Amino acid sequence: MEPLDLDISEGELELPSEPMMLNMGPSHPAMHGTIRIVVELSGELITKADVQIGYLHRGFEKMCERGTWTQVFPYVDRCNYVSPMLNNVGFALAVEKMMGVTVPERCQYYRVVLGELARICDHMICNGAMCMELGAFTPFLYHARARDIIWDIFEEETGARVTHSFGRVGGMAAPPTQYFKEMIRAGLPRVQKFLSDSERLLVKNRIFLDRLEGVGRISKEDALALGWTGPTLRSTGAAYDVRRAHPYLVYDRMEFDVPVGTTGDNYDRFMCRMEEIRQSMRIIDQALEQMPDEGPINIDDPRIMLPPKGEVYTTIEATIQHFKIVMEGIKVPAGECYSYTEGGNGELGFYMVSDGSGTPYRLRIRPPCFAVTQGLEQMITGLMIPDVVPTFGSLNMIGGECDH
Amino acid sequence: MTGVEIVLALVKIIIMIAFLLGLAPIAIWADRRQSAMLQHRPGPNRAAVYIPSIAARGLVAGPAVLFAAVAGFTALQKLSDRAAYEGTIIGIQLGIVVAWFSLLILWRVIRGSGAINGFERLIGGMDPRNIFYAGLAAHLVGLFLARSIPRDAAPVSVRVVLLALTVLLLAVGGYGASRVPDGKVAIRLAGTLHPAADALKLILKEDFVPPNGDKLLHALGPILAILPAFITFAIIPFGDKLCFGDDGDKVFGFADLGLLQRTVTDSFQCNGHVVNLQVANLNVGILYLFAMAGTGVVGAAIAGWASDNKFSLLGGLRASSQMVSYEVALGLSLVGLFVIYGSLQLGPMVEWQRQNAWGIFVQPVAFFLFLAAQNAELKRVPFDAPEGESEIVAGYFVEYSGMKWGMFMAGEYVELLVSSALLATLFFGGYTLPFLFRDGITVAFGDTTVFQYKMTHLSVSILQVLVFFGKTIVISWVQIFFRWTLPRFRYDQIMKLGWTKLLPAAIGNMLVTCIIVLAIDSAPAGFHEGLAIAGQVTHGILVFGGLAAFVAIVAGLLEPVKRRQFLQSSAARFAAAAGGTKSSPQQA
Repeated sequence: MEPLDLDISEGELELPSEPMMLNMGPSHPAMHGTIRIVVELSGELITKADVQIGYLHRGFEKMCERGTWTQVFPYVDRCNYVSPMLNNVGFALAVEKMMGVTVPERCQYYRVVLGELARICDHMICNGAMCMELGAFTPFLYHARARDIIWDIFEEETGARVTHSFGRVGGMAAPPTQYFKEMIRAGLPRVQKFLSDSERLLVKNRIFLDRLEGVGRISKEDALALGWTGPTLRSTGAAYDVRRAHPYLVYDRMEFDVPVGTTGDNYDRFMCRMEEIRQSMRIIDQALEQMPDEGPINIDDPRIMLPPKGEVYTTIEATIQHFKIVMEGIKVPAGECYSYTEGGNGELGFYMVSDGSGTPYRLRIRPPCFAVTQGLEQMITGLMIPDVVPTFGSLNMIGGECDH
Repeated sequence: MTGVEIVLALVKIIIMIAFLLGLAPIAIWADRRQSAMLQHRPGPNRAAVYIPSIAARGLVAGPAVLFAAVAGFTALQKLSDRAAYEGTIIGIQLGIVVAWFSLLILWRVIRGSGAINGFERLIGGMDPRNIFYAGLAAHLVGLFLARSIPRDAAPVSVRVVLLALTVLLLAVGGYGASRVPDGKVAIRLAGTLHPAADALKLILKEDFVPPNGDKLLHALGPILAILPAFITFAIIPFGDKLCFGDDGDKVFGFADLGLLQRTVTDSFQCNGHVVNLQVANLNVGILYLFAMAGTGVVGAAIAGWASDNKFSLLGGLRASSQMVSYEVALGLSLVGLFVIYGSLQLGPMVEWQRQNAWGIFVQPVAFFLFLAAQNAELKRVPFDAPEGESEIVAGYFVEYSGMKWGMFMAGEYVELLVSSALLATLFFGGYTLPFLFRDGITVAFGDTTVFQYKMTHLSVSILQVLVFFGKTIVISWVQIFFRWTLPRFRYDQIMKLGWTKLLPAAIGNMLVTCIIVLAIDSAPAGFHEGLAIAGQVTHGILVFGGLAAFVAIVAGLLEPVKRRQFLQSSAARFAAAAGGTKSSPQQA
């Protein structure tokens, strides 16, 4: 007997169906409130993804053109609000490069130590938030408490816990406090303890590994083509670290390893960040060892640095100097330059043009997250909805920086 | 069914619902709201009711005076020899408990508000663990002391002991009341007032229904989710059978309620009327529970469909597919247990565990399989993909608010409590304690009896009910740990685990169990005796392990927290130098 539906073609047998469109974000718990992903679903499988950024666009570059060079510091704080100190240092280095000045050695060490502390915070929060979004709440609490220890140190040093605005062209806003080295030497082992506690909960956990291993994979070539830098690039196997490839400050005197991954999946990104925290601690240990206890922090140049307050109130020269720096800004010679440092998520670049006045003529930021976020679309296509969470989490996209 | 049976059934239902509804908000709060508490934020754990200090003094002194009155009254009664002897033993032990426990509370008060006299300075300077250890030592010494009292001195000794207990209780109550501060006193109950406030708030909140959703189904979802959770508890026995006497008419009437038998034998020969402490004693037993628990997911699926939201639809889909893949493993994992217990009813299962060994010892593999399958069935971490708050926002209840949302939550946590009760019944001996039989405590290995202590029917029954609810609470507490620790599976990984790991393991466990049971059945008699002794040894292990765990937990809780100062902030230094109030060093 012949089947009844012999003359019906295979395609007509199926029910008419069209893919489901789903808007994830911007107000979605895993999208950090700053990004929208429009996904086309077949079941739970993502067949097409459209990543839309720009929800935190604040006109950062245009705002910079309205004030003096020094007034840019609070803006760079708010670019990467997870590791603001690295942005502070990066911008200060950029302006100094343009002026052709170098800060005293003690200040260089100071910047290295503060920057590496910020990097530890950055990586810890990225990893912790990723665990939390996967459902493991306890590791996140461990990381948040460890970050609090570092924030206490920052509060002592800078007076602010999150947005420090502590960098200055030609130095820092204040010299290290009396207990700077003791505080860090006492604090870091505590951070280390919290980290190993949370690592014990995670890296042998089969569920956690299943969710990360082989998910959100990207090849080295693709990552390089997309312009990736930082831990996300290193997880694919390319050992590019600005601190090692183009040393700035005193990084050439430090001994540290650049951890690289092999497959570029979520697990590699997680472990790269974990290892980088350890390397940062190594750098801090060495920097504290080598950092002189005495000596100037700021460069001795009355055209760049504000005079001491006591002199401002008593001498006319200092009053005029103070007035000119505050009102007109530091005169940066005309020209253009690109300066880049290793930020929390990769190469943080500043391209700036000066017309010789006290105000930036044009300032362009090269945020590491922007390039990294470009890759999200190709990474999540073909995965399932739950995989978006760790993949996006491990990229550590910071809205303020990405949308500059 | 006589009138009294109906009344008793209603009483049992009320006990069950009161237990579930009382603990469900606390479980929700412990599971979902403690992040705020962990961060030491003032807020949830600060929910307080203020009462005038005179009332607080009454609350402190009242129970102490009441118990003192009971003890004093008993001391003045004429007691039989046996009662006097037991009264001495119990009086000494109670006095020691009261002493060390109130000293610990006093230590805590002194730490909070400072010592006011020499005695308090002495207590405040002690390590609380030493107070506890001294109390334990005193218990042992008291036991030997009581045993060394000759029988004929008992009528005198019981008066001395009970009067001393009266004085001690009055002293504790009076001193405690005098330590209550003046003015308004905040009652916090360790933060458990917050769940009560939560429940009230949910009832008063706006109930939002999506405009394009199906209004009927939207309302039906939470009802279908919460109802099965409650009715599954009906077949779980929360205590042993009670035996009431008969007043002569051979009918169970209200007059018989006063005739609870003083003692029963261990084999439970009851000439009067038997009352099960179980709402419904169904002969299908646990199959009813599987059937009802499986319908809970219908509520989630309907809610997901009726909400007119793609996230809820995905959640509902995940919930139903997850249920399908775990229902089979859930049932099969217990088949080995049924073969061993020889019954589907929960009462006989508990009896078997009392006679032989707890289920966890005879079927350890089934325990883990059942635990995993049940967590998947309940949609709890690590199987909470249907809810998946970071993926699909809140899954099937994303469009619910107010009390409808509260019903989903209550349903989930009532299910948690019921599942804990079921775990306790199947694997942890239900309402029984090791060596606690219907006629009292008998510690015996084989034919040698080590220790025997006769107890009345009433006291054994009350103890067993308390043990059952205690076990349920402890197991729920352990289940709440999972949620705080484990990440969640991906939806396809859950399926894979269910079909390719749990199901084959459950079938393998079933086969191996059947073979072993057949082999044991045909084994010689001596082997059976050996097995019986092995079962008693497991009971012994449980007793010693339980006591050791109790001591370790209490000592751990009493361990003083070492706060190492690592950073003294300039703000604190500055304030201290200025004689300010912020003198304490900042501690992290």
